[in-house]
Amino acid sequence: MIKTGIPKLDEFLDGGIPKGKSLVYYMQPGVEGEVFGMQTIYSALKDGGNCVLVASSTIPDITRGQFKEFGWDINQFNNKFISVDAYNPLIGAPSKEKYIVSNPDNIEEFSRIIVDIIKQLPPSTIVFGSLSTIMDLCGERKVIEAVRIWNKMAMLYDHVMVYNFTAWPYSQETLDLMKGELFNAVISIGGIVERVIFGQYFEILKSDWTKEIKRSMLFRVLRPGGIKLYIPKILVTGPFDSGKSTFVHALSTRAISVDRLGTTIALDHGHVDYKGFSADIFGTPGQERFDPIIRLLSGESMGVFLVIDSTNPSDFTRAKQMLKITMSYGLPYVIIANKQDLDGALTPEEVREQFDLPEDVPIIPAVAKDKIGVYEAFEVLIDSVTGGI
Amino acid sequence: MPDTIDMIDKILTDMKNVGGVEACAAVSRDGLLIRAIVQNWQFAESFAAMSATMLGAAETATVELGKGIPHRVIVESGQGRLVAVGAGPRALLVVTVDSDTGLGLVLIELEKAAKKLKELLI
Ligand SMILES: Nc1nc2c(ncn2[C@@H]2O[C@H](COP(=O)(O)OP(=O)(O)OP(=O)(O)O)[C@@H](O)[C@H]2O)c(=O)[nH]1
Ligand SMILES: [Mg+2]
Repeated sequence: MIKTGIPKLDEFLDGGIPKGKSLVYYMQPGVEGEVFGMQTIYSALKDGGNCVLVASSTIPDITRGQFKEFGWDINQFNNKFISVDAYNPLIGAPSKEKYIVSNPDNIEEFSRIIVDIIKQLPPSTIVFGSLSTIMDLCGERKVIEAVRIWNKMAMLYDHVMVYNFTAWPYSQETLDLMKGELFNAVISIGGIVERVIFGQYFEILKSDWTKEIKRSMLFRVLRPGGIKLYIPKILVTGPFDSGKSTFVHALSTRAISVDRLGTTIALDHGHVDYKGFSADIFGTPGQERFDPIIRLLSGESMGVFLVIDSTNPSDFTRAKQMLKITMSYGLPYVIIANKQDLDGALTPEEVREQFDLPEDVPIIPAVAKDKIGVYEAFEVLIDSVTGGI
Repeated sequence: MPDTIDMIDKILTDMKNVGGVEACAAVSRDGLLIRAIVQNWQFAESFAAMSATMLGAAETATVELGKGIPHRVIVESGQGRLVAVGAGPRALLVVTVDSDTGLGLVLIELEKAAKKLKELLI
């Protein structure tokens, strides 16, 4: 089993890609997809594996530079990482790689080299930088036949095969095969426009070694950093003085607040980088006179933290009202029972009773000023946000 | 998707090319950054959230006073200006302008750009 290194994807694939299996990253044209194969290479190398990159759309040196941009030092794995150069010969440039495809438009030669590698190397992760480029050079049918053979051979020799493939307007038959029977797993990567959210997502279309599939996740490509799951907006709301601003700052990698005289008059804004997630956090004011701004800020949220002061049950009515104002019903939300350090703080169970909350709404005890409970709350919310898309 | 983004980028690039404009961004009414041309990307998202809040707060204030919807918000400081205009019900446009350039042309171009963005996002 190797890990893809893509956040959450390994979890959805029950740990990663088993030896002998093939996986394709099937990308719509125009999305940033090449990074998927690269992130998988880096992940496999980091775990001590052997990797082969078949470079057919850029020279191997450029690809090495791209790894660096993502902050991945692959030079340290020098003897475990091999490039197959199927690009330099195309432009008539010399190559210094060990494996060279002298005629990348000749599928027989291409296939001979790949099969040699499959037979000679110890179990490895073999990543094709761009299968579509090979198709453009050698023709759709021939490449499909070659891929069938490579995948079978890889199964016999315990390699993991990973392909980047861009779904240019090939024949429907080809595209159906790519999305269907040709590979053990298909991860589709595309772009979405939803109101004002312009994003990229990946989705498991198929995986023959896991039961539950059909999950999709928004992502961003960061340099450095690679693929991060992206959550454009998480809302932090709650009554006056409950600790919303403190919570936003405790959770965020960086954050700013528009506070005057100790109270938020506009918003808190923070950015969270945590466990492969990249999320933007919007904190609202709490006082009623700012309700128009609270309304203004709450659109497009994917999840909500409702922060309450556990010593102040008289505020719970206002807290409920704020869930309404922010249109949070229907979204995943988590209650932060804050200020647990103070005398007289209600326990989460008491909060649930007094608040009259359904059993399935998570209540996390927290001391925002000491960062206690904030990451736990984030993980709980993220789980329901990502489970629900 | 890439098409709409390309078109928004075109609007922003044109805006950025207007004399004196230092940075510009398309922002959703509820404070999400759609696209931007800025120097410091780290801050772009916060900048977007702040701009949406400013324009939203200004609109709320004037409408409540019976003075109608403001055409724009202009913020002036010693180092330059910031102008935010609404671009339909979903978005707004924000630019920062250096302190030496007159605002006349910038405001005219901003108005045009806002109309285009509004059309794109309908
Ligand atoms: N004892 C204790 N005090 C806290 C905790 N979290 C926040 N506070 C304090 O509570 C006060 C209010 O915190 P803020 O974060 O400004 O609260 P807020 O909800 O943003 O307030 P508004 O924006 O005015 O509605 C501050 O004095 C914080 O130091 C906590 O966990 N324990
Ligand atoms: Mg606050």
